[in-house]
Amino acid sequence: MNYVPGTASLIDDIDKKHLVLLRDGRTLIGYLRSIDQFANLVFHQTVERIHVGKKFGDIPRGIFIVRGENVVLLGEIDLDKPCDTVLQQVSIEEILEEQRLQQQAKQETEKVKMQALKDRGLSIPKADNLDEY
Amino acid sequence: MFRFQSLDDDCTLEEEDDGLVEEEDEIDQFNDDTFGAGAIDDDWQEEHKRLAELDERDEHGAAQPEEAEPGGAEPPPSSADPPSLPSSLGFSSSSADLPPRDADERAGGGELAESVARLILEADPAIAGVGAAEKPRPSPSLHGLQQPRPPQKPPGVTAPPAASMLSYQQQLLLRGPAPTPQMNSHSIWDSSLGFGPVGVPPALAAHMEDSPLMSIIKEVGLPKRPLQGRTEEGWDLSERVPPPRSSSPVIGSPPVRAVPIGTPPKQPMSHALNHQIHHPTAVHVRAPLQHRYPPPFPERLSPNTLLNIANSPLCRGPFPPRVLSQIQRAQLLNSQVAGFHRGGPGPPLLPGGGFRPFFGGPPPPHGHRMGPPPPIPPIRHNTTHLHPQHRRLLTQRLQSRGGDRGRTAGDRRPRDPYSNLMSQKEKEWVTKIQMMQLQSTDPYLDDYYYQNYYEKMEKRQEKEQDSSSRKEHATKLITPQVAKVEHTYRPVQFAGSLGKLTVSSVNNPRKMIDAVVTSRSDDEEKREKQVWNKRRQILYTVEKMFSLLLEVQDFEKRFVQTPEEERSALLEQHKTNTEQLSAALRDKDWEHRVSDDLCVMIMSVRKGKRLMGRLLPFLPAPQAAAVVMAIARNLPVLAKKDKQDQVLCCLLDPVSAVVQSLASSALTDLLQELQGSEGQLTTVLQNKFGVTLLYLILSEGERMQSSDPVCQLMDDNRWTELVFSVMRELLSVSSSSLSPPLFTPPNLLSLFSRYVDRQRLELLQDKLQISASSR
Repeated sequence: MNYVPGTASLIDDIDKKHLVLLRDGRTLIGYLRSIDQFANLVFHQTVERIHVGKKFGDIPRGIFIVRGENVVLLGEIDLDKPCDTVLQQVSIEEILEEQRLQQQAKQETEKVKMQALKDRGLSIPKADNLDEY
Repeated sequence: MFRFQSLDDDCTLEEEDDGLVEEEDEIDQFNDDTFGAGAIDDDWQEEHKRLAELDERDEHGAAQPEEAEPGGAEPPPSSADPPSLPSSLGFSSSSADLPPRDADERAGGGELAESVARLILEADPAIAGVGAAEKPRPSPSLHGLQQPRPPQKPPGVTAPPAASMLSYQQQLLLRGPAPTPQMNSHSIWDSSLGFGPVGVPPALAAHMEDSPLMSIIKEVGLPKRPLQGRTEEGWDLSERVPPPRSSSPVIGSPPVRAVPIGTPPKQPMSHALNHQIHHPTAVHVRAPLQHRYPPPFPERLSPNTLLNIANSPLCRGPFPPRVLSQIQRAQLLNSQVAGFHRGGPGPPLLPGGGFRPFFGGPPPPHGHRMGPPPPIPPIRHNTTHLHPQHRRLLTQRLQSRGGDRGRTAGDRRPRDPYSNLMSQKEKEWVTKIQMMQLQSTDPYLDDYYYQNYYEKMEKRQEKEQDSSSRKEHATKLITPQVAKVEHTYRPVQFAGSLGKLTVSSVNNPRKMIDAVVTSRSDDEEKREKQVWNKRRQILYTVEKMFSLLLEVQDFEKRFVQTPEEERSALLEQHKTNTEQLSAALRDKDWEHRVSDDLCVMIMSVRKGKRLMGRLLPFLPAPQAAAVVMAIARNLPVLAKKDKQDQVLCCLLDPVSAVVQSLASSALTDLLQELQGSEGQLTTVLQNKFGVTLLYLILSEGERMQSSDPVCQLMDDNRWTELVFSVMRELLSVSSSSLSPPLFTPPNLLSLFSRYVDRQRLELLQDKLQISASSR
């Protein structure tokens, strides 16, 4: 707030640890190092955190530059706050495996659902989350 | 490197040597292996000693060629006349250069650098003194270096700082040529060119802060300039270092610019000391040299620089390349800085002495804010592989962190060496852009909700702040108010050109159609409107009458078809229609007279003429006669209007029918009407219809006369007179202006024969092409 009083600005978030959720569903945690007028973000020591159920796994990614339009939300991580989560950290391989299983299960249920709908002559168009054509 | 070994007890170097060299070579674009193997293998120290001996021999005239190293002669001469030594060395340098160089066949490519290094060593009294002092030591080690230092101290009355510097320089020199193959590109110049030729001239450096540009320059080096800079600085002229000679092809070429593309704010020049962080070798010795007169630790950076000096050669070789995480590395450095910092500004010697102990044992003797001690001895060689900017940033963070620590005592956050990557200027730049977006000519229009919200907030704040004394307002954002300027783009138009030159921009989008409105004056418009209105009216009337007429015409057909009961109705309707028709032609003022104007109006339109033609049979006799009269009366006008259409002749049949039904008086009247005003007959004769009509009338008259001996036609002379005048006209008029009639009634000749003599009759005959046979 010291730069632009009365407004919200990312300037004050610089050099702090942040968690950002991207439009494709990824969660990144890193130190916000630089911004620009489009809210493009430069993250340092970025870690991609994958959550599956109660487990999570961190994949170190290094330096990330995120284009501003792909950010869903961004929040500062309070390092001082005691971290008492029920989440359990697992290794990368394990979490990736878990994620794969989760995706598989989801696909199967989706398939069954679509089949059931088809049998009844109904169809639900697939929601397009990504603005890609 | 044996030197490294000597310097650091922990180093186990040899096996890693080649690997490191190769690594260095991969990235070392500027080091064209100038030194070659000679730099590594050759013992320049020996050379130096020999040279010194040579000079001593020259000086003292004593020949001691073989007893080179351990000479008690060195300390006295080195201490006694440091100033004279350079001169002597300087003079003898050129000469001394050659024999050593010749002797150093094994040096190979490195001989030049060595000679240069030697020159500097010899010329610089500080170095020379140290070198002379150190000569006796066959295997220089850091400890060894340390030992003679105290003895050096007292003699160094003339230049105690020089002596202090000497230690560093000495160490550097000792390490100098050796590590070159393993150092980064700049290191060539670090050692050979001595102190500071690499990099930015001190004058310039003093004004600079970190900038990628300058770091790159430092990397590549501007060897020639810095030397001049050195003299500019007002260094002790007794140094008189000869300009370095180099064989690198890079020299002279412009430094590599690696400014990151798109860095919006122009980064200010970085501080000199920051730069020297990049060159953890002789360059950094410049810092102490530079600040020879200022206190030895002007900033906390200098311990940093010295640390780097220590770090780079020490840690480069011996350790296996271990990739520390950046944070770890930074922490290492940080810790060392901290250690140094805590060590405080001591005598300059102390850090030099503190190098090894600090280095050897990571937890410094008085480092209490170390944080987690570095797990391994700092592996600086990893950082030397970093991009120069990266390295700069590392050390910059160190510096800032070091400063921050002093300020923020209560800061529990771990030291973040990567903080402030975004400089103040950049932050301001982003803020400026954001502010620009808030510019508004009418804030209540553009940002209504924010304005209201802000007002509410302010009111609330005023309420809450009951105390009148303190008037602290939260800082208010003042958005720039831009006056609304009307920008109307007037396209440039050159005289005489077609159209306008249009340059389209954001503020002036291109006009697709250049529509120009032309408005006529009111009078013209009225007149035009009137004309059009009248025409429309006529057309309307014609249409209405036509529809009536059609109904009347179709009556018979319909009558036949309709059943008996409805026939009367139809008949009635028919009558009504007919009435209407005839009524339509009637004059508004005079109930029973056909309106002349109306007829003419109708006849002015082609359709109207056709209408008349079809209408005439259905009109009652007097009306029909009146219509024909009207036609005859207005024939010139009608003829003129008919020029384009040429439809008048369609009237001929019904008109002839009407004419034939006319009474003699009516006929006479008709003929009179036809002749009408002066010159009308001429016009009539010019028109086909007119001529034909005339003939019709005449023929009718003739028929009347011939059929009925007692006809009223002859009762008054009107008919005769009219005929006479007609004949006169016919005779006088030229044949060209006489339009051929549609048909020529046969009895014309007989008519004419009544009134004219034979001669004229023949003339008429010829003119009118009336054949006698048609009689």
